[in-house]
Amino acid sequence: MTGVPRSGPGERRMVALRSLFLQAVWNYETLQGVGFAWALLPGLRRLHPDPRKRAERLLAQLELFNSNPYLSTIAMGVVLRLEHEVARGVAGAEVRVGRLVGVLRGTLGALGDELFWAGWRPALGGAAATAALLGGGVWTACAYWLFYNALTQAVRLRGVTAGYASGAGIARVLQDPFWRRAAAATRLGGAAVGGAALALGIALGLSGGGGRGVGIFLGSVALLGLAARPLGSGGRRLSPALAFLALVILLSALTQASAGTSP
Amino acid sequence: MSLPEWLLLGALGALVFLDAWPVGQTMLSRPIVAGPLAGAVLGAPAEGVFWGAVFEAVYLGVLPVGAARYPDAGLAALVGTVVASRGDAAESAAYLVAVALAAGLLGDWTSAFQRRWNGRVAAGVRGRVAAGDLGAPGRAIAAAVARGALIGAAAAIGSAAVALAGLELVEGTVWAGPAGREALRLAALAAVVVSAGRFFLERRSGRLAWMAGLVVAGGLASWAGGGMGS
Repeated sequence: MTGVPRSGPGERRMVALRSLFLQAVWNYETLQGVGFAWALLPGLRRLHPDPRKRAERLLAQLELFNSNPYLSTIAMGVVLRLEHEVARGVAGAEVRVGRLVGVLRGTLGALGDELFWAGWRPALGGAAATAALLGGGVWTACAYWLFYNALTQAVRLRGVTAGYASGAGIARVLQDPFWRRAAAATRLGGAAVGGAALALGIALGLSGGGGRGVGIFLGSVALLGLAARPLGSGGRRLSPALAFLALVILLSALTQASAGTSP
Repeated sequence: MSLPEWLLLGALGALVFLDAWPVGQTMLSRPIVAGPLAGAVLGAPAEGVFWGAVFEAVYLGVLPVGAARYPDAGLAALVGTVVASRGDAAESAAYLVAVALAAGLLGDWTSAFQRRWNGRVAAGVRGRVAAGDLGAPGRAIAAAVARGALIGAAAAIGSAAVALAGLELVEGTVWAGPAGREALRLAALAAVVVSAGRFFLERRSGRLAWMAGLVVAGGLASWAGGGMGS
C-alpha cells in the first residue's frame, strides 16, 4: 500500500458517524445509496485527491445499496480498503469493489435483520414493556434505550475498522459462529420474556381482580393469539394493532355492561 | 394545551419521525421511549410510561425490514399520550387506542411520501455528482433531514389536534367507555405474550427458554406475594 495514505482512526470514526445518516435519502430506487456514498466521502477524499477521479468513484457508490443500518459500516470499511487498491491502480479493483458490495448488501442485511430487528429489539422491547406495565417507571425507558444502543451503536462504531481490517476477506468474519450465537441468544432471551410475561400476567390478574382478572388476561391472550393466526388460504394475518383495538372495545363494552347491571 | 406544549410536541414529532428510519435509529422513536418523553413534555409522566408500554406491546411484532411499509409506532404513542394527558384515559380507552392507531397509519403514509420525494432527490444527486459537484449528496441529506423534521412535526401537531377535538364527540358512546386501567394492563401484557410467541417459539430451545421464563417469573411473583401491580 505504498504511495497512498492509509485510513486513520479519525477517518473511520467520521465514516461511522456519517453512517447515522445512511437512510436520510432512502428511496425506492437506490434505497440507501446516497447515504452510503456520502458516508464514504472522507475516505474517498484521502484516496482520490483528483476531484474528477473522486467524483467518478463517488458516482460508483451512489448505486443501489441496502443493508441493516447498524452493520452497514462493515461494508463501508471493506469499500475503503478496496478503494485503496483502486487508488493504487490495481487492475480489476473497481470491478471487485462493485461485486463485493453487491454480495455484502444481502449478507449484512440478512444478518442484521435476524440479530437486531427480529431478535434484540423485540426481546428488549417485550422486557421493557412488561416491566413498565407492572409498575416500572421512567427507568424502564432509559434502560431500554441504553441497552439497545450499547449493542447497536458499538457494532456501528467498530464496523468500519472491522471491515477495513478484513477487506476482501470479510466473508470469514461474517461466517464466524459469533453471529449465529448472538442471534440465538437474543431469540432465547425473547422467548424467556414471553414466558415471564405470561406468568406475570396471571399473577397480576390474581392480585387485582382474582378470577375475573385472570379471565381477562387469558381471554386476551386467546383472542390476540387467534387474531395472529393466518387467515384463509392466502395466509394473511389480521393486523395486531386492529386486533388490540377490537379487544379494548370489547373490554369497554363489558365494563359498561357490568356497570349497568350493578346495584 | 399551551403554545409551548404544542411547540414541544412538534419538536418531539420531528425527533420521532427522524429517529424512526432516516437518522440514527437509536429507538427514541419506539413507543416505550417516545411515550415517556411526551408524558414529560405534557406534565403527565406516568401516563406516558403506561401508554408507551401499551403501544410498545401492540407494535412489538412490526419489523422495519427493507422496503416494507409499517405504521409509525412512535407517532401512535405520542398521540395516545396527548389524549391520555387531557383527562382520565381509562375512561376513553377505545377512542385513545383508535386515534393513536390512526396516527400510526398517517405516519406510514408520511414516510412513504418522504421516500418518494427522496427518489427524485437521489436522481438529481447522481446528475450533479456526474457534473463534478461533490457536495450534492451532503446537501441532499441536509434537505431531506429538514423536510423530515417538518413532516414529523406537522404530523404530530395535526393528528394530536384532531384527536383532542374528537374527544368530546365520542362522549357517551362505547368509544368513551371505561375499560379500566387494570384490564388495559392485562390486555397489553397479553399482546407481549402473543408477539413473543410469534417470534421466538419456533425452535425447541426457544420453547425451553419460554418455559424457564414462565417458571422463574412465576416463582418470583409467588414469592413477592401481593406486591404486584402497585
